[in-house]
Amino acid sequence: MHLDYSVITANWRFLADGVGITVLLALASGAASLIAGFVLALLRLRGPRWLRPAIVFYIDSMRSIPVLVVLVWTFFALPIVAGVTMSPFTAGLIGLTVHLAAYAAEIVRAGIESVRPGQTRAALALGMSHPQILRRVVLPQALVRMLPAFGSLLSVTIKDTAIASVIAVPELMRRAETVAGQSFQPIEVYTFAMLVYFVLLYPVTRGVDRFYRRVAHLGRS
Amino acid sequence: MTLDWSVVWQYRAALAEGTATTFLLTIATMAIALPCGIVVAGLRLYGAAPLRALATGYVELFRNLPLILVVYWAFYVLPILTGLGLSALATGLAALSLNVTAYNAETFRAGINSIRRGQVEAALALGMTRTQALRRIVLPQALRRVLPVLASTWVSLFKDTSLVSVIAVTELAYVSMQVRAQTFRVLEMLTAMAVIYWLLGYPQAKLVDWIQRRYAVSE
Amino acid sequence: MSANVDLRAKASGPSVVRYLDVVKRYGSFTALAGVSLDVHAGEVVCLIGPSGSGKSTLLRCTNGLETIDGGEIEFEGARLGRDERTLRAMRQRMGMVFQNFELFPHLTAEQNVAEGPRTVLRTGLAEAKRRAAAMLTKVGLADKAASYPSALSGGQQQRVAIARALAMEPDVMLFDEPTSALDPETIGEVLNVMKVLADEGMTMLVVTHEMSFARRVGDWVAVFDAGRIVEEGPPEQIFDRPATPRTRDFLSHLGWDA
Repeated sequence: MHLDYSVITANWRFLADGVGITVLLALASGAASLIAGFVLALLRLRGPRWLRPAIVFYIDSMRSIPVLVVLVWTFFALPIVAGVTMSPFTAGLIGLTVHLAAYAAEIVRAGIESVRPGQTRAALALGMSHPQILRRVVLPQALVRMLPAFGSLLSVTIKDTAIASVIAVPELMRRAETVAGQSFQPIEVYTFAMLVYFVLLYPVTRGVDRFYRRVAHLGRS
Repeated sequence: MTLDWSVVWQYRAALAEGTATTFLLTIATMAIALPCGIVVAGLRLYGAAPLRALATGYVELFRNLPLILVVYWAFYVLPILTGLGLSALATGLAALSLNVTAYNAETFRAGINSIRRGQVEAALALGMTRTQALRRIVLPQALRRVLPVLASTWVSLFKDTSLVSVIAVTELAYVSMQVRAQTFRVLEMLTAMAVIYWLLGYPQAKLVDWIQRRYAVSE
Repeated sequence: MSANVDLRAKASGPSVVRYLDVVKRYGSFTALAGVSLDVHAGEVVCLIGPSGSGKSTLLRCTNGLETIDGGEIEFEGARLGRDERTLRAMRQRMGMVFQNFELFPHLTAEQNVAEGPRTVLRTGLAEAKRRAAAMLTKVGLADKAASYPSALSGGQQQRVAIARALAMEPDVMLFDEPTSALDPETIGEVLNVMKVLADEGMTMLVVTHEMSFARRVGDWVAVFDAGRIVEEGPPEQIFDRPATPRTRDFLSHLGWDA
């Protein structure tokens, strides 16, 4: 079996741009879902009571529906309902954010609830107000505890950008398909794609592991 | 914009078949990935150095690759590498199994490692062999801990079956999108697809929650 | 080492465990720096001393949970097994009680006690259950046979652990700080069981901080410090007339008035 990797070098620019889109999409949807997740979790824990069932319903729904379905619906169906047109990238960004924010919200909630109630009691005894307690005692500890789960979520985010290829977002997966289809050399192209994704993902999980181990003591009470 | 929701009813047979394939894929994958996961975990924990490295490499590889890429790779590359002509369904099953086995191996490994060393020592002090200690003392306790994680993996797997639609396996997502293409009823079919997944996935997610509450471990 | 071996009441009995210049290192740290000690049949030998002085390490080397780096350990006249099978056969004749009880949480008290006979000695189920019931009665917990460890107090769990070790009908019982993890109220019930065992003539090697127990029940006491035995003798000597400054220091820190 003769492998000819010149197809990679010939399409180097094209594929590298794909990696750029992958990273951009991952970071953008990652950041957006992080913010949305925090807002949702805080609204659920400290917000108006009537909002809670709606948030829980949203979170449980995103746990039940595949990312593929969310992305496809966002790109093909949402324009019909909302009367707007959107680029594949925009649809991918919205779809991923909506899906991942549910998981982010759960991570934030679990992190906050894992801080011992004794901490809040001690802070109250010192005379702190509830917003102060959240900001200065609970959240700092909770943030440390959330780190491993967020690292894992970032890894999932990067992997999910590959699914956006289905709605023609020009990220790496899509471009690999294109090159593989045109050159009739799927082995070389897909092996290359595997290598790139592995190189992107492996440091994320390892890095989060190591960083967490250094700061874990800050979240322990 | 006129909506015609009757298409969903019209094509209910196809959708039902697609749903059945989705369930079939999920069950078959787990049936393969559970024992394989145990074997890989065993190699990683107790195997000789080269086997241990191989098992670890396998787990780290498949945990750090997008599943959709593995599906494509299996579809285009496996036939060339192995000379086998597999159906799309079998290919999809292979890709899913490779992926879930790696996650299960990690789950089992973490579960076994979470059992305190003192338990093994107490078993050895009674005169048990290492195998007896594993079988009678460690595994029964570890099983309790891995159950919630395995339940969660099951639900993820159920959703991930949608990815094999890209190689034209006739599970729910593929069938829904085919009907959409044939009838041009985009909003209706895509919404129906989402709703069906929701109806199937929601109870499973709730079941996982219940399992996690019931089997929660407090040290 | 003191020269009053002639005061050793039960030295005439056969040697059950014998340590000859035992050395154990963890990397650059020497946990045992040449320990020699005899344990005779029917004796209760208590090992006392500061934390980290090597007492528990010696115990764990005795049944092979740790391997030694120098010297010899003899069990009933034979060198401690180097291969798994011989070691396992010896372990079946030793009973060990851990500081953290280490009951198997997924088994009831009765199942815990029956586990050794069933799995290791391959006793039939009926016989194993009978033995378990007898041992639980012996430690005063017959009514807790069907309870899981999580439903038992610390003292009860430790007594079940003792019953579990006794069910194997060992020739020697090794106790690794059996009461250190217990609430003060439950320490007494465990020490009482140990005293009953001693009165019945069981050979016991006990690592403990309970000085009054060692004084009352022990036949021989060895004082450890920094991996060595600095003094050994009958309890009356160690506690009432300690011969070495290290022993006196240690006891006075514990508030023990000689």
